[in-house]
Amino acid sequence: MKRCFISLAALAMVPGVAYAQSDTDQQSVTLQGNVASLCVLGAPSQSSIDLGQLVATSGTRVGRIAAIGDQHVTLPGSFCNFAGTALTVSSDAMLAADSSAVQPGFARAVNYTSSVDNWASTPPTVTTAATAGGGTPNATGTGGVEPLPKVADLDLSLSSFTVPSDALLVAGDYAGSVTITLGPAVSD
Amino acid sequence: MKKTLLLASAVALAGFAAPAMAQSTGTVSIDGSVADRCLFTTDSQTISAGELAGTDGKLDTSKLDGQNRTLVGWCNGTAATMSVEAQPLLNVDFTGTLPSGFNDRVDYTATATANSLDATDDSTVAGAGTAVNVGVFSGDVKVALSGSTAGGNLLVAGGYQGQVLVTLTPNVSFGAP
Repeated sequence: MKRCFISLAALAMVPGVAYAQSDTDQQSVTLQGNVASLCVLGAPSQSSIDLGQLVATSGTRVGRIAAIGDQHVTLPGSFCNFAGTALTVSSDAMLAADSSAVQPGFARAVNYTSSVDNWASTPPTVTTAATAGGGTPNATGTGGVEPLPKVADLDLSLSSFTVPSDALLVAGDYAGSVTITLGPAVSD
Repeated sequence: MKKTLLLASAVALAGFAAPAMAQSTGTVSIDGSVADRCLFTTDSQTISAGELAGTDGKLDTSKLDGQNRTLVGWCNGTAATMSVEAQPLLNVDFTGTLPSGFNDRVDYTATATANSLDATDDSTVAGAGTAVNVGVFSGDVKVALSGSTAGGNLLVAGGYQGQVLVTLTPNVSFGAP
């Protein structure tokens, strides 16, 4: 009877120790990184636009600016990866390479309107206002603020080519430029 | 006087019993046990990948793929298992609706290796991957990253954080009720 009692005691003790604990452990490897604020303009579909002959060579407007159709340049895949961005367009009127003073009735500047669509709801639109002699050729305009990160094919359009006072254009080569800047909107 | 008499009687009984028994061995049984356990002995590790995007604004996979860190731990039971849970890197700064063409999340595959056995998990699916039986071991638990992707989209600017959770589970290697 005594031996039996001892045996029962042993059985009662062993399971209590063997099954009581089962410790799971967990550790982590934390991953950290960042993405810098970035705006990138896509490569222009054409880096230069050759308008060819600028003036009418016959008819009632001979020597004066001809009708020049709208020009378009696409910048595909332009993007900003952060919110609150804006487009700025800076345009320089087309000026004659010959910077000599122009005679009355002549001009050496061709003004035009630049606009970039497909970004914020209000596109930047600017029209140059160079004088006949080529003064104040630059004009700059900023569009509205895009509230979200965005990727888009920007469309630069050039239109409304005019000459101050519709004067006769002096002969020679003419060149102008448009600079598009995409970046964070500047707040006052 | 009466007390003394009783004691004497007891001695007499003992003296009487001894000749009646042969040699006897007493036994003291000793029992003990070691519970199934697993334990990490190193602190958590950190992978700081830095700038995640390339100049094209998309994920530079070289920033995550091939990264690894080593934890150290042990399990003392043959039934021990290891599982790994890859949690995606998420942009912690951007709020709002994700614009088309962008992503604010980077997924990847995490592989934990212990006792020459691999446990893997893809962060595109929530929760841990399938546990593997690592058994009794003590040593390195290497965590490696691979297959990172942002779905070919541009990444939204900001800080990104994620983590890989490695779990060692001892289970019960004998006699579980």
